Parts: sequence; structure tokens; C-alpha cells
Amino acid sequence: MQVEDKTLVLLQPLNLTVAAGESIAIVGSSGSGKTTLLSILAGLDLPSSGQVYLKNQPLHQFNEEQRSQVRAQHVGFIFQQFLLINSLTALENVMLPAELANMPDAQARGEALLAQVGLADRMEHYPSQLSGGEQQRVAIARAFIAKPDILFADEPTGNLDSKTGQHIIDLIFDLNVKEGTTLVLVTHDAKLAARCQRQVEMDSGALTEPLTEATLANTDENHAKNQADTQTTRHDDLASKTSVSQVG
Amino acid sequence: MSIVKEKASSMWFTQSLRLLHHELRRGELTIIFIAIALAVATVFSLTGFSGQIKHAIVANSTNTIGADRVLRMSSEVDTSIIEKSQTLALEYARKIETESMAFAGDNMLLSELDAVSDTYPLRGELRIKTSLTQIASVVANAPKLGTVWVEPSVLSRLNVKIGEVIEIGVAPLIIAGIVTDIPDRSYRAFIAGPTVILNIADMPKTELIQPGSRITYKYLFAGETDAIESFEKWIKPQINESQRWYDAKAAQNRLSRILDTAEKFLSLASMLGIVLAAVAVAVASRRYGQRHQPNVSIFKALGASISHVRKLYCLHWTLLSCLSIAAGLVVGYGLLLLGANAIASYLSLADAPLTFVPFLTAIFTGLLCAIAFAIHPIMTLVKSSPLNVIRGFSQEKVARFGWHQLPPLLALFLLLFIFSQDLVMSAALLFGGVVVSFILLLFGRGLMSAGRSVGTKAGKSWHLALANLKRRASENSVQLVSFTIAIMLLLLITVMKSSILSEWEQQFPDDTPNHYLINITQDQIQPLKSFVEENNIANQGFYHVYRGRLSAINGVKTVDKDDKDDDSQVQNAEKIDGTEKQQAKKTKQQKTRQGMGRELGLTWRTELPDENEIIAGQWWPVGDETPQVSIESNIAERLAVKLGDELTFTLGSDEFTVPVTSIRQVNWQSRQLNFIMVFNQSVLEQFPTTSISAWSISDDNRDLVYRFLANFPTITVMDFAAIMAQLNGIIEQVTVAIQLILILVVLAGSLVLIAQVQASMEERERELAILRTLGAKGSLLRNSVLYEFVALGAIAGLMASVGMEIAVYILQSQVFNMSGSFHFQYWLVGIGAGAFFVGLIGMLSCWRLLKLSSVTLIRRTM
Repeated sequence: MQVEDKTLVLLQPLNLTVAAGESIAIVGSSGSGKTTLLSILAGLDLPSSGQVYLKNQPLHQFNEEQRSQVRAQHVGFIFQQFLLINSLTALENVMLPAELANMPDAQARGEALLAQVGLADRMEHYPSQLSGGEQQRVAIARAFIAKPDILFADEPTGNLDSKTGQHIIDLIFDLNVKEGTTLVLVTHDAKLAARCQRQVEMDSGALTEPLTEATLANTDENHAKNQADTQTTRHDDLASKTSVSQVG
Repeated sequence: MSIVKEKASSMWFTQSLRLLHHELRRGELTIIFIAIALAVATVFSLTGFSGQIKHAIVANSTNTIGADRVLRMSSEVDTSIIEKSQTLALEYARKIETESMAFAGDNMLLSELDAVSDTYPLRGELRIKTSLTQIASVVANAPKLGTVWVEPSVLSRLNVKIGEVIEIGVAPLIIAGIVTDIPDRSYRAFIAGPTVILNIADMPKTELIQPGSRITYKYLFAGETDAIESFEKWIKPQINESQRWYDAKAAQNRLSRILDTAEKFLSLASMLGIVLAAVAVAVASRRYGQRHQPNVSIFKALGASISHVRKLYCLHWTLLSCLSIAAGLVVGYGLLLLGANAIASYLSLADAPLTFVPFLTAIFTGLLCAIAFAIHPIMTLVKSSPLNVIRGFSQEKVARFGWHQLPPLLALFLLLFIFSQDLVMSAALLFGGVVVSFILLLFGRGLMSAGRSVGTKAGKSWHLALANLKRRASENSVQLVSFTIAIMLLLLITVMKSSILSEWEQQFPDDTPNHYLINITQDQIQPLKSFVEENNIANQGFYHVYRGRLSAINGVKTVDKDDKDDDSQVQNAEKIDGTEKQQAKKTKQQKTRQGMGRELGLTWRTELPDENEIIAGQWWPVGDETPQVSIESNIAERLAVKLGDELTFTLGSDEFTVPVTSIRQVNWQSRQLNFIMVFNQSVLEQFPTTSISAWSISDDNRDLVYRFLANFPTITVMDFAAIMAQLNGIIEQVTVAIQLILILVVLAGSLVLIAQVQASMEERERELAILRTLGAKGSLLRNSVLYEFVALGAIAGLMASVGMEIAVYILQSQVFNMSGSFHFQYWLVGIGAGAFFVGLIGMLSCWRLLKLSSVTLIRRTM
């Protein structure tokens, strides 16, 4: 990234593959680049060089419109700030991704999901009428409604007290198991990260993965099975270059 | 599959409606909604209002003169003209118009007198009611002998009923009904008194017609087009300077010129309201864009395509605009009714239809505002990046100057043009507006900076408030300018109404004439003279008055402005082709020079009157019998008349030429009787005449004088106090109209303020949260917000007061010729009202924020 006359390196060359159904935590301190990595993984942003594959689709070659399409079909989000649309009711917020993915039964699914997260009686409430924990539960229901293949969660408990946070985490992992979704979770909370099958750490834009043998084998196996593109990393010295592929 | 696709294609539609529905209900779109509605309502009510007034006055083209053609003159017509019209089988009617006093018991009233013949009117309808309870009026011609029809206000002002007697001149006449429609109603009647209609055969009984009386004779003709045209061809060459031949169109041209001036004034004032409403739309639409930015980012992050977002927001904005426009039309209609009600006693708009013009203009205005002011914010909105959901929604700084400001400026210009129909005025207004705003802005900035340094010495709340005011100076400048202008206009009207006119009246010495006596016959002069001497009434003596026209200067004929209309008539009738027409016009210009454009009151004197000063030439010595004239200096300058020039005058059918031997400067402000043309005795003494006089009647001997004058009912008495009261009445009516516009201006200004406050809400929220965290008390925060707006309002009030004082000084020195005065009490009113109003609006719009508990505040922003 060019800032005035200096080149700022946000991400060091890195290589990350996430298998379908896997849950992975990206941990690191503030400013380590984990949120930047997440935005690139989710197709919200593009790396200045490198490759990103999501469900075998080359996001790095796609324009914003095509990436939107991919997000609508395969991706769910949970944000630290909840990011609900304030002028829509809880139910309407939940229905939104389903509608964008052209699902015919958006309302029924929305109602069912809100009931699952314990908000059956708050469906017609606006976000401003809900507590922080309730807003995040709405966001979770919204994240799962379109049956995403992969769910990105950015500090989902960052704005919540520890008890509510725990409840939210339980919900995310329950639904994750139930729906068989791949989960990419960004957090600086080690306890939360520990609940994921795999943890990687970001430090000054570089990825250090405390890999176990088991996870490595698991990843390789998945990789071979899906005959997906292998991820490549080019060690270019210029700027940030990320090459990440998610194998679905 | 196709069903799913179809559903998907309409999803943006559903989502757009859903958003609009919720946001409207939650009041998130109120400001932008009101802003557009206000612009539409302003345009609709004002265009509709002026349109209806025009229609009500002009009514319908053939009826405004009660005939096909009218011959107007100040003496009776030659019988050959009537005979000629009869050989052509034309219908014919007569009308005599004059002003006179109407008496009933001790009450008297100056009224417009119409004496009509039995065939009147030839075109259009004269409608009357024979009782006040009668619902439908009936068509009539002339009243029966010995009776009159009066306008309703005569009954109340003379305290009489239908069936009772009033005296016109020396004739007692019975009121037989009230007039509801007069086909050729004179627009003069809005200023002169109410109309009284009598039969022309009763006119001699009143003894009002005396030699030299100010009387208008009208001869009305109607018939087949061919007959009328050949009559016109025959009569035109015989028309002299003191006569006028016109049709409905010419009468309308004259009228529409007057209306155009009034309309221009009205539109100038109301354009201010429109500009402010447009600014409110601009500010509110920017806010709209910023507010929806997170939504668009979320939509996009969740996978919505750009086209989906674009369609969604275009529909959202379009529906919002349509709803606002509809609401604006409803409100505008209400304002229109209010305006019509306010002037109902002067002019009934009940029958004037509402055309499509105000609807179309208002809808177009709404659309233009909605498109031009929102195009940039909406384009920016649609481009919002989905990445914001991760990075946060920092508000992008919009460049202050750039291409994106072109559409709003063009739209503003277009709006001004549509409203004024005047390219130069619109450009001048836009440019002038920018310059004035810039000057006000500089002053405002200066005052805000000065306030900042004062603030450091004041209490904590003031310190915070003034620091904030200075920091937000550029955002505050728009409302500062709008409030300054609104307050200044309000102050100006108040000062005009309550102060200037009375100050003007008070500056005259005690013996300044306050009653004017007109239409005094020669045999009445002696008894009047003895009366004023006996009762010691200050007066200006008696002046003989002759009515005549200046018809030529140095042998070159003079033209009046109104002649243009007549010329086109002749030329049309004679079917002259284009080139010949131009040539004719050119030769005519060479052969003529500018005249007075009206009949003049002429007089003779042996000695130079008071308040007159000779600035060139010499006043004639007593006994000098050589015919000569002295001319007033301003008129001499306007007509380019020099000493020694030969002026030709037409009195009735007589014509005479005299040299100019002196030029006089006249003090017109003195309220004395003054004349433009004064002759020596030998020129005028052979013509018949009536006299006028000006008396100063004190309140003590008012009854005595009135009782005495009742013996001379043919004399018309004009009470200056009554004229002033009438003038005040007119100002009152105008004020209502202007106040209506000012309400719109103040509303638009408030809207700009509220929109700006809303735009700064997040920032204010953050600041308050920080202050709270640092331990600031609730009262400190409340006061700092309050004082910020109070200071803003006070600065606007101060600048408005300075502006008002300058405007009043210009009016006093240029219009009223009086020395300037200082109106400090109104400065206090201006500053106080500004501080109170802006403080109130500001506090109300921040109320929600100030009511939040510190915990909520901190949680919301941290």
C-alpha cells in the first residue's frame, strides 16, 4: 500500500489453505494484519499481487461485481460491530442474504433461525431496541440463513461482556457443526481461538502457523481429495503479496 | 428456475419499499422529506397565488372593458361620432367616472363614482344583489333613476342599509342593491374608495360636473367585427391628445404591466425562500448519502451487486421525492388558500380557477431539486465500498469546490429563471446572492473568531460553546447567512410598519395641510374664503385647476407610453407588412418625442408659490400679459425641455403654444399644493375651471369644518389622515403576503439548521461522550450546546440589525427625503429573537442526544 511516498507492507508473503468444514482461528495482536487477511479471504478486498481461491474460484481475477456474486452464494459474515441495518427489523435483517441469494423461503428460514438463537419474540424489533448480545444473535442468524459454505467472523465477541460473549461463541460453534460450515474466525482471544480445530498467528503481516502433524495431514488429504489448485507463494520483495486458496 | 429469477429481479423493489416504509415511520427521512416538500409548496403557493390574482383582475379578455372598443376622454364627445356609430349599426353605451364624496348622516366616504347609461355594459355582465341575504346575483344594466348600487364596503363604512338614502353631490339617492361584478372595473378602485353606480341621467342632479372638474367620459361601442373595424378606421385620425381609443387587449397590456411589476417584486422575495429550500435539500441529501453508506456497504458485503444497490436506491429516492412532492402540493394548496383569505377583502379569488401552471412548475421544481442536489450524494453512496464493514465508516471528505457542484448551481439558476422568467434577474440574483453570502460569511467568520477569544475569558460552558462554533464555522455559515437575511427582512418590515411612516408624518410642521378640497366652483370660493378667515384655518389659498395635456414640444408631437398599444392596433387593422411597419415606427420615432403620459393639472399664478424656487430664467412680473409657462425642474430634465422651448397644450378641443420662461425647483415633500406647469394669468383665464385648496384642520375644529363643508356637497374632501390610513391598510395587506413568504424563508432556514445539526450528530455524540468520560456535568454539556446555538442566532441577529439599519437609512434618505435615525430597540429585538429562535431550534434538534444517559452515550460511541 502506497502512503504518501512510502510503501507500507500490510501482509508479508503467505500461504494459507483452509479445508471444507474446518474451523480455523487467525489470532494476533492489534495491527498484526489479521483483519486485512480476512477481508482478502472473503473477497472484500484484493491483494496487490498473489492469488486467492474460494470454492475453486479465482477471486483475484474477479471484479467487485463477480466477487459480490461469490459472496452472495458462498459466504456468511459476523462482525464485531454487528453491522445490522438499523431501519430494518430483526427478521428483515436476517432475511437479507437469503433474498440476495434468491432463496425462495427466506422468511420461513429467517423465523426458524431467529427462534434457534432465542429471539422468536423479538423478530419485529429494530436493532436499536435490542441489546448488544441480541444484536449479535441476529447477526449470527443472518450469517447462517443462506447456508454459506464458509463463515467469516471478525472478533464476534469484541463488543460483548464475557458472559454474553460465551453464549454467542456457543451459538456460532453449534450452528457451525449443525450446518457443516467452514469457519474462519479472527480474534485476539486465545480461549476463543482454542475452540477452533486449527490456529494460525499473524505477526506484523506475517503468518506463523503452529502446525501439528495431524492438521497438516488432514489438510493434505483434503487437498488431494478435492484435486483443487495447489496454493503457491511467490516471494516477491515488493509490497504485500498474499496467495491463499480455500479448498471447498 | 424462471420463477426464482423473476423473484430475484424484483427483490430490490421489495427491499427498497421495505427500507422506505421503515425509515419514513422512524422519522429518518423527515428532514429531506420536508426540504423537498417545502420547495414544492413555496413554488406552488406563490405561482398559484400570483396566477390567480392576475386572473381575478384580468377576469376574461372581452369583459374587462365592457365593450369591443372604448373612447375615453375628459370632455363630452362630438355628436357626429355617435351618429356615425349608429349608421354602422353599432351598439353604444356611456359611462362617466369620477371621484366624489358619499354622505350618510354624519359619515362621509370618498368613493369611485360610475354613472352608466341604460345600455351599459355591452360586453360582460354587471351583476348585483338586491339584498345581503340573496345567494345568487342577477345580471343588470343601469340602476333605476333615483337609485344607486354600491359595493358592500360602502354599507359598513357609511353605516347604512339597502333601502336607505345616501347623498352624492347634492342628490339624495336610494341604495337599491349591492354590486358583485363590474365588467370594466377600474384597478384604481383598489386604491381609491369603493364604487357607487348610478344612472347617468341622475348625474346632473348631483351637480358634480362643473367646468374643469376631474371627470372621465367613456363611450363604449360593440358590434360586428367588420363594422367595428371600419368605425375604428374612421375615428382613429380624429382622436386628439386628450383622448384615448382602446380595445380589451390594450387595456390588458396596461394592466399587465402593473401586474408584472407586482409579480416581479413578489417573485424576488419568494425566490429567497426557494433558494433556501434548495440549500436545505442539498444539505439533507448529502446527509442522506452519508447515513445510508453503512447500509450499502453491508448490502454489498452480503453479496448485493452494484446494479442491485443502484436500483434499490434510485427507487428509494424516487419514491421519497414523489411523496415529498405530493405533500408539498397539499401544503402549497393550504398556503394558497391562506393567501387568498388574507386579501379577500380587497380581491376575491373564489372564482379564479387554478391552472395547471403552478402544479407543473412546482412538480418540476421538486424533481429538479431531487435530481440535481442528490445526484452526487447518491452516486457516491452507490459506490460505497463493502470493505467499509471491516475498516469502519469514516466519512469521506467531499471536496468543497469541484464539478459535482455544477448541477446544483445550474439547477438553482434554472429554478430562479423558471420562477422569474427573467434571465438577467436570475443571473444577477445568483451572482448577487453569492457575493452577499460571501460578505456575510466573512463578517460571520470574523464575529465567530472574536467570540472564540471572548469565550476563553467567559465561563466553561461559553468557552466550549464558542470553541465549537468557531470549529464548525464553515458548516454554520449557510444557516448564518439564511437567518441573517430572514431576520433582516422581518426587522425591516417591522421598522417600516411601525416607525418610518410615523416618523415621516411627524416631521411636518403643525400647519401642514391635512385636508385637500377639490372641485370647488367659482361661486363657492368666496364663502369658503370667509369661513377660513373667520375660523383662523391655516390654508394655502385657492388654485384654479385646468386639465390638459402636453401635446407638443417645439412643434414635435409628444407620445405617451400607452400609445404603443394603440399603434399596433392601427397597424394590424391596416395590415401593413413587416418592413413598412418598421419604417413607420422609425419615422414615428423621428417625428415624436417623449411626453408626460397623462393629463396634467395646470394652473396660473401671479406670484411664485411658497416651496418653489426659480433655478433658471425669471418669474414673470405682475401684469405681464405675454403668454408663458414655468416648468418644474425634474420634469424639464426628463423631457429635455430648456428655457425658450415652445410647449403646446391641449385643453378639451382647444390648443395653445407658449414659451418656457423659467424652471422651478419644487419641494414635493412639503404636502403643499404643487404644480408641474404654472402659467401666467392671460394664458388660462378664458377657460372654464374649478379650484382646489389645502387646509390644515386641527382635531378641535374638525367637526365645525365638516359641518360647514356639508353645505357644499359637490366639493370632494380628501382627508390626508384617511389617505394615510388607506396607505397603511395597503401596507398591512402587503405585509401579510410578505410575512407568508418570510414564514417560508424562516422554515427553510430552520430546516437547513436542523439538517446541519443532524449531519454533525455523530461528531457531537463523540465529543459529549469524551467530555462525560472526563467528568463533565450534564448541565455543562447542556449549556455548552445551548450557548453554541444562542451565539449563532445572536450573531445572525446582529448582522441582520446592521443590514436593516443600512436599508432603513437608504429608504429614509432616498425615498422619504428625511434625515436618518437610529433604531436601537430593534437591534435588541433582532439579536434577542435570533438568539432565542436559533437556540430553541438547535436545542430541540439536539434534545435526543442530551437526554441520553452517560452510560448509553459512552457505549454508543466508544
